[in-house]
Amino acid sequence: MPIDFPSEEWTTAYQEALNTSESYKEAGKNWTHGPIALVVKAEPSIGVEQDTAFILDLHQGVCRKAWISDLEEANKQPFVITGSYAQWKQVMRKELDPIKGMMQGKLRLKGNLPIIVRFVKAAQELVEATARVDTHFLDE
Amino acid sequence: MDMSYDADLNFVFAHTPRVSFGVNVVGDLGNWLSDMGHSRAVVVTDKFLAEKTDMLERVKKSLGGRFAGAFTDVIPDPTAESIDQGAAYAKEQSADVLVSLGGGSAIDSAKGMSVVLTEGGKILDHEGYHALTRPQTPHVAIPTTAGTGSEMTMVTVIKDPARGQKTFIGSYFLHPDLAVLDPSLTVGLPPKLTAATGMDAMSHAIESLLSNLRNPFSDAYSLEAIRIISKSLKRCLDKPDDLQARGQMLIAAAIAGSAFSNAMVVLNHALAHTVGAKFHIHHGTANAMFLPHTMRFFTDVSADRLALVAGALGLDTKGVDDEQAALQAADRIEQFNKEIGLNDRLSDYGVTEEDLPAIADMALTDGSIIYSPKPVFDLDQIASVARKAL
Repeated sequence: MPIDFPSEEWTTAYQEALNTSESYKEAGKNWTHGPIALVVKAEPSIGVEQDTAFILDLHQGVCRKAWISDLEEANKQPFVITGSYAQWKQVMRKELDPIKGMMQGKLRLKGNLPIIVRFVKAAQELVEATARVDTHFLDE
Repeated sequence: MDMSYDADLNFVFAHTPRVSFGVNVVGDLGNWLSDMGHSRAVVVTDKFLAEKTDMLERVKKSLGGRFAGAFTDVIPDPTAESIDQGAAYAKEQSADVLVSLGGGSAIDSAKGMSVVLTEGGKILDHEGYHALTRPQTPHVAIPTTAGTGSEMTMVTVIKDPARGQKTFIGSYFLHPDLAVLDPSLTVGLPPKLTAATGMDAMSHAIESLLSNLRNPFSDAYSLEAIRIISKSLKRCLDKPDDLQARGQMLIAAAIAGSAFSNAMVVLNHALAHTVGAKFHIHHGTANAMFLPHTMRFFTDVSADRLALVAGALGLDTKGVDDEQAALQAADRIEQFNKEIGLNDRLSDYGVTEEDLPAIADMALTDGSIIYSPKPVFDLDQIASVARKAL
């Protein structure tokens, strides 16, 4: 059964998808730069009442923990990427390359850009893994 | 020859600041600031320009009563600490506008200072891309070199010695509000620096044309920049006080800056950044060294774009296919380097065959490489390009 995005259940399923991905394991093996918070901007019209973040504690090709958080906790992470619901959906459907999205201002990055772009392959695998989660988008 | 765009073409092109161009337009600065409603300007520059040239005095004269002070401690490759110091100084002077005067380091410093003045804290608190959400302290950029194009870009590069790395802050809010392009400020640039900064601009133009993020706007800017540089750079060297040629170079550098601010650069800059960091080779010189080899490396996937470069360089490519035209363009750039006195090779700086794996490894981690027109993930491939510049 499709899982609502974003939700605690989706975050757990995504962590599993990441940790069973051999290609992510390889691409992210040198990542030692800490957790990444992904923030979905509030979209009350589809039921996302407030900015919602999920944090991925990524380390050397493994997602050690993934959880839904508030904005305050998200903003304490070394990398925070913020986008609208529609933009995250575009990323997950591979209609928007996340690095290109950051360059164009469609996604906002707080953190060290050179580190992120060094891991472009890992970023691609992070997107690939979303396809392995049976996702229900709230606007559909 | 034509260059088509894919059906799924999708881009953002951020238009750039107001530009005031002309000989002695620096004299209009006070009027501009009056129109913009600013009354306390802090000039951001380096000691050399402040003490060994009349440029700061010209700016002060133009600002008149709006001159609130000068921060003259800009350093090459500005550090986070130097930017924080500059911001503290500007705050003490109650600056409501920053006027950068110099090359990329002065302009980048002022961009960083504008963030700290508006957002508070220290510059590294704000690292990120498009993380800023409001206009920053107004900034007028006055380039005194024709190369970096920083007066047109939305990025500032900051060195963070504590972490041993460079970081970026990029935002549409970092575009300067006004770029003052005054050819009379560049006539004193020494020949080698004129050539090297000019080839930095040429690299911006050619690489943004090759980039995966290219778009019709950036392409148009790039091609015009190539056309102008190919005609004007040598003239600046033959006759350093040729204001017409100096002005053309300022325009070319600015529009190439606008092109790469939107389309980014590719492998060539990744290599130039690397040898700059490891062997202290001037950024423009390094770009010039690698450029013909980078062009040849991408000919298999970008012959159509490089054929347009050939046209912009003024080559007669009638009757030849795109690939041949692309190779002619690369040959012409190699020859052009010689004509402007940039004969440097990596070996002149002590680089040997044994250094190539480390150069390739570091270039692979440079952000510029990801926009290359074909994936560049292989260390041997990168080393093969660098080897040609040994």
